[in-house]
Amino acid sequence: MSAETHSRLVRSAATGLERAAAGVVGLGFAAVAVSWATVFQWLRIRDTVAGVAVVDWFGLALLTMGGSVLALGAASRAGLVDTAPSDAAGLVPGVVFGLLGVTTGFFVVADWVDAGAEAGLVGGLVLGGVALAVTVGTREDVGSTLVPGCLLVLLGGLVVADVWTVGWTFRPTWWSLTFSGDWTVPVTTSMASLLAVWSAGKAHGGFGTAGRQTGAFALVGMNAAAMLAVLGLVVAFVVDKGLVMLLEGAGLASGTLDLGVLALPWPEVPFVTNVTGSIFVDVPGVMPAVLGTVWLVVGAVLFAVPLGVGAAVFLSEYAERGRFTAVVEVATNGLWSTPSIVYGLFGFAFLLPRFASGASNVLSGQLVLGFMLLPLVLITSREAILAVPKAHRDASAALGVSKWQTIRSVVLPAAAPGIVTGVILGVGRIAGETAPILLTIRAANFPRSNPNVLGSFRFTAEPPFVANDALLQGASALPLQLYTTISAGQSPRPSEYTQAEFGWGVALVLLLVVLGFYAVGIATRLYFRRQITQ
Amino acid sequence: MAPTARIRNALPRDRGASYVWAAGGLSLLAVFVLFVADSRLTAVPFVVFVGTVAYGWVRHQPATAHGLTVVTTLVTVCTFGLIIVFLGREAWPAIRYEGLDLLFDASESWTFSRTAGASEFSLLPMVYGTVATTAVAMLVAGPLGVAGALFISEMAPGWARELVKPAVEILAGIPSVVYGFIGFVVLNQYMYEHMGVTGFGNFFIVGVMIGLMALPTVVSVAEDALSSVPDSMKDGALALGATDWQTMKSVTLPAAFSGVSAAVLLGLGRAIGETMAATIMLAHTKSIPEPLYDVFTNGETLTSVIAFEYGNAGDLQLDALFAAGVVLFVTVMALSVGSQVIERRMERKLGGRE
Repeated sequence: MSAETHSRLVRSAATGLERAAAGVVGLGFAAVAVSWATVFQWLRIRDTVAGVAVVDWFGLALLTMGGSVLALGAASRAGLVDTAPSDAAGLVPGVVFGLLGVTTGFFVVADWVDAGAEAGLVGGLVLGGVALAVTVGTREDVGSTLVPGCLLVLLGGLVVADVWTVGWTFRPTWWSLTFSGDWTVPVTTSMASLLAVWSAGKAHGGFGTAGRQTGAFALVGMNAAAMLAVLGLVVAFVVDKGLVMLLEGAGLASGTLDLGVLALPWPEVPFVTNVTGSIFVDVPGVMPAVLGTVWLVVGAVLFAVPLGVGAAVFLSEYAERGRFTAVVEVATNGLWSTPSIVYGLFGFAFLLPRFASGASNVLSGQLVLGFMLLPLVLITSREAILAVPKAHRDASAALGVSKWQTIRSVVLPAAAPGIVTGVILGVGRIAGETAPILLTIRAANFPRSNPNVLGSFRFTAEPPFVANDALLQGASALPLQLYTTISAGQSPRPSEYTQAEFGWGVALVLLLVVLGFYAVGIATRLYFRRQITQ
Repeated sequence: MAPTARIRNALPRDRGASYVWAAGGLSLLAVFVLFVADSRLTAVPFVVFVGTVAYGWVRHQPATAHGLTVVTTLVTVCTFGLIIVFLGREAWPAIRYEGLDLLFDASESWTFSRTAGASEFSLLPMVYGTVATTAVAMLVAGPLGVAGALFISEMAPGWARELVKPAVEILAGIPSVVYGFIGFVVLNQYMYEHMGVTGFGNFFIVGVMIGLMALPTVVSVAEDALSSVPDSMKDGALALGATDWQTMKSVTLPAAFSGVSAAVLLGLGRAIGETMAATIMLAHTKSIPEPLYDVFTNGETLTSVIAFEYGNAGDLQLDALFAAGVVLFVTVMALSVGSQVIERRMERKLGGRE
């Protein structure tokens, strides 16, 4: 919201209701975090913490949250606390609670009472109907606490009373999976905690319009936190698993830097500097893949950046809006959304026969990645060029400067920060692409030597006059190396390293490269933005 | 303005510059024709083109620069055109061989034989796999993505936005092969041990992974749509005493509805085209489960079959893989065009021209 709209007219000290509700919300956040920790097995559900089994802690948490939510609703209904509930909780919560009622009723009747699937369905429909009726038909403070509260108390009770144990299993006929206690208890706890967070959030705002806002903000905020958590988890997980392999045999000063006259101690990371599939190295490394990625990125940038920037200049400075620009627009958006595997197929059918008579080659990979980078560069460059104020161009034209001079010395320099940022972020994206290069450059699973692109250029007497054998051979690249490790089913040195150990090492190097590009891109943007605002 | 007049206006008036345009254009046309015809002589007109540009840059810089921007734009369009042509050309034998059975043959068989007429290619199981994984993915990416966009554009205080926005961007950058490896090593194992699924990999968990990958696309495009709603509209609602949440629900979201649905469509396109997670995590069996909504079974998607089989496919089988590519391409293009139409309508509406 725009800043002017924020002003709290009344600010009183937190009431007891607010404190109690905030406590429930906090407990809900904690329960969600802990239950996912058990799904990821950092915390074993069969362990005991402070003399109580982890699964019983879940039950107790559910009971506490359920009871508190019921109490909050009851206190509001009885007028013990100052709230402003609406007439009803509304249809959307009603439908959601109804569906939850159906699920709960089904499992309770079909499995706990053991009355069969048909009876379970009937029981589910009855309970769902009751939940819907209660939610829609009562005042908001009751409608939005009674069903969640009862549900949480029921679930918690089943866990604490050892009905719903870790060993509980249910195998449905309609899905090929088994519901067992060790994963359903934490997963259900996290879902039910979301209900409690919403319900208590509403109570915290005193129900009514303010309450609905608090409840919604609590859930949406949790969603944002969850996205951060996913990012953090993925990165932390890969670092945790891959660091052992990355640092295998590494030393801060174990290598030497040979300067000809004197040799200096130098940090050594054999996993990064060694070749992959040779028996002459102690640690199989990823240098061929790193170099492959470097050459792919260099080629793609050399191809895509001039094309993308040129087309962006044409579209924003020279072209008049018409049929042609519409076609360009469609083509650009089409290139943006074309699946990466389709680019791979295109390179396989069109480029491979033209460069190396059908064999994998780096040049095709560079071009295919360039095709993918092209729309990213074009779109960001055009946005950057359009963002240059019209006054700049007018001022330049008023001085009698020609159109091209204006573009060259006013528009492009002003748009450069945006273009550079867009290119860096685009490079980060294509550096991690696997599918297109899988179809165009794949050669040996574990290459024995580094690609020597710079040293392979030579001139020939016949067309195409320049030849480079290294560019016309297959190679490896970091994402491709990870895939070939997976599909080969083993590491390059099966006797010493498992497939997973080597794979996590490759994944870590890949992640470092890609996230490095992103970090540089975002930092560049922040730097330029700060310069502009100063 | 008539098209011919418009083209004449765009051309350079100076005679020398016109010669540069003509020589450059002709040599580039020759490059294009020879390259597509797979000739060894492609380099000859290319050298002529480079020479022409070098001469033009020295003598007629403005016109040459203008011409070069036209060339770059044409190359972009031609790339797109070439993709369509070559994808279609390679897929054509398989399409002619199977006809509509390619998509609608319920026999679920995918066999290649060197004997003429004995091969059979039914893409139906792969279409099912793509639909199943995409449906799960959108259940993840749709609601969470729109909620994330609401958070960034409407709710977050400054510091939280500065944190979440780059994080979403970085999330988009995590390579799909890394997601696939995590799914392959960790999630497949977990589901096999604890959830009683048969064998390694199933549509559901692949769909969840793909949903996480499509999430950043949905968030960033939907966020653009939400923040393009003019402040005056929101201020009006707030001035009437509506809360922030009421304003979002009844002003911002409805006004940005088309933009948000375009975001979901683009996310859908990303999810359909996602390759590596499915290739790594699935077991590449080709069957349609019974009942249809049993997404905890193993199988194949349109993308994974290409990545898995292109290497040792027989000629007609390779054409069938290209046909799978055509199906993907056409679907994603339809989604892309659909989202563009929707976005344009939103622009018109918010610009007050409708």
